[in-house]
Amino acid sequence: MGTNDRKKIRNDIILAVVLLAVAAAAMLFWHFGKVEGDFAVVLIDGVETARYALDTDTEVVIHTDNAGENTLVIAGGKAYVGAANCPDLVCAGHRAISRVGETIVCLPHKLVIKITAASDAGGVDMAA
Amino acid sequence: MMRKMRFAALLLALLLFCSMVACKKQSGKTKYSAYYFDYFDTVTTVVGYADSKDEFDRVCASITAQLEEYHRLYTIYNRYEGLNNLYTVNETEDGVHNVVQVDEKIMDLLLYAKEIYTLTGGRTNIAMGSVLSIWHEYREAGMHDPAGAELPPMDALRAAAEHTDIEQMILDTENNTVFLADPEMRLDVGAIAKGYAVEMVAQQLTADGIEGYILNVGGNVRAIGTADGDEPWSVGIENPDTEDTETPYIAYLHLSDAAVVTSGSYQRYYVVDGKNYHHIIDPETLLPGEKYLAVSVLCRDSALGDALSTALFLMDWEEGRALVEFTPNVEAMWTLPGGEQKYSSGFEAYTFAMEK
Repeated sequence: MGTNDRKKIRNDIILAVVLLAVAAAAMLFWHFGKVEGDFAVVLIDGVETARYALDTDTEVVIHTDNAGENTLVIAGGKAYVGAANCPDLVCAGHRAISRVGETIVCLPHKLVIKITAASDAGGVDMAA
Repeated sequence: MMRKMRFAALLLALLLFCSMVACKKQSGKTKYSAYYFDYFDTVTTVVGYADSKDEFDRVCASITAQLEEYHRLYTIYNRYEGLNNLYTVNETEDGVHNVVQVDEKIMDLLLYAKEIYTLTGGRTNIAMGSVLSIWHEYREAGMHDPAGAELPPMDALRAAAEHTDIEQMILDTENNTVFLADPEMRLDVGAIAKGYAVEMVAQQLTADGIEGYILNVGGNVRAIGTADGDEPWSVGIENPDTEDTETPYIAYLHLSDAAVVTSGSYQRYYVVDGKNYHHIIDPETLLPGEKYLAVSVLCRDSALGDALSTALFLMDWEEGRALVEFTPNVEAMWTLPGGEQKYSSGFEAYTFAMEK
C-alpha cells in the first residue's frame, strides 16, 4: 500500500468523523431546540394577558383580581418578580428565569409568568 | 478498487447522517399548554400535543372535570350541598363523628391510604389531621400577619398527636361507609390525594385512548404516553435552594407513561423569627422535617410517588434508600440541606444533560 493510499484512508476517516460529529450536533439541536427563551408570557388565571421580549429591559406592575400586584422586572435577558403584595411571597423569592419552560407562579394571585421561544421547540416540557 | 470503496464509505456515512437526523418522528401536531388554579389549593399545568386547539381544549375539559370531582370529594376545608366528602367525614355531631356514606372514589383512596401507612412505617399517615390542622391554622395566620407569626405550642401538638391512630378509621366496604371511632381524630389526605387523583385522571385518559399529554398538579407530574412522535417528555426538577440563582434545575428527566413527584420544603411555608417552617410534618417530632430540601420519586404511578415522596422526606437516607430499593420500579433523588444530591441505584438512567 502506497503513502498516497494511506493518506486517502486517513482523509476518509477524518471525513467520516466530521460527518458523524455534525450529525450528532444536529440531533442534539433537534432534540433540545433552543434553551434560552425570547419572551416572558404573563397568564392570569390561565389566560395570557401580555408578553414581554427578554431582550428589552422593563419593569411593569401586573394587576390581578382583588387588588393583587406583582412587579415583573426584565433585566439582562432574565425575568423576575421584584415585588408583590401576596401573602406568601414565593413568587418574589423565585430566582430569575430565562430558559424555555421555566415558570414563576404566584398561587394567591393565580399568576403564571413563563418563558417561551419564538419557535415552540426547546427547553423542558414541564418544570416541577 | 480503492476509489469504489471510498465512494461506498462516503455513501454509507451520508446515509447514517440522514437517518440520524431524520430519526425524530414528526407528528405534525402542535404543542399547547393550560394553567388552572381551582384544584387542591395549587396550580395545575397541562401540556399536550394535539391536532388543533379545539382538540386540546376538549381534553383539558375532561381533565378539569375529573380534577374538580376529586377535589370536591377529597377536600377537608369545604362542604358542598348534597355531597358527602372528607369534610363531612371529619365533622362531629354532639362530640362524635357520624357513620358517613361515601363515594367509591373516597373509599378507594382511604383503602389505599391504609396500604401506604403500612408501606411507609406510618410516615405517611392520613390520620394526622388533628396535628396538621393546628399547623395549618398557625401557618395561615403567620402568612397574613408576618410580624405576629408564631409556632404552635408543643403541648397542643402533643395533645392532638394522641388522636392519630389510623386503626380508628373504620371502613365498611360492603356499605361504603367511613366512621372515625376516635371523636378527636381528623383526616388530612394532603400527602396522598393529589398524586392519587392525578393517577386516576391519567388512567382514565389512557382508557379513553388519549396520549401525548403531561399533567402537573402541585409537583405531581404524570406523563400520558410520549411527547411529540415517539420522543419522551423533558421534565426539569426545580432547584429547591432558592438562594442559588445560577442553577434553575437540579435534574432533567426523560419520562413516558410515568410519574415524578417532588416533596419540598420550599413551596408551602411560613416564617417565624427568620426561620422557615414548611408543611411536611414528622409524626415523631410533630415538627417540619429537616433532613432534606426536597425528595423526588420517579415511578409508574403518581399515587405511589406522592405517598413515597412524603415518607422519604421524613426518613433517614439509609432507611429511605432501603425502602426505594425494596419497592419495585421506584427510583428517588434526595437533595440535602447543603445542596448535595443522592440518588437511588437506577435514578440516573432517566436523567439527561441540558446544553447551556
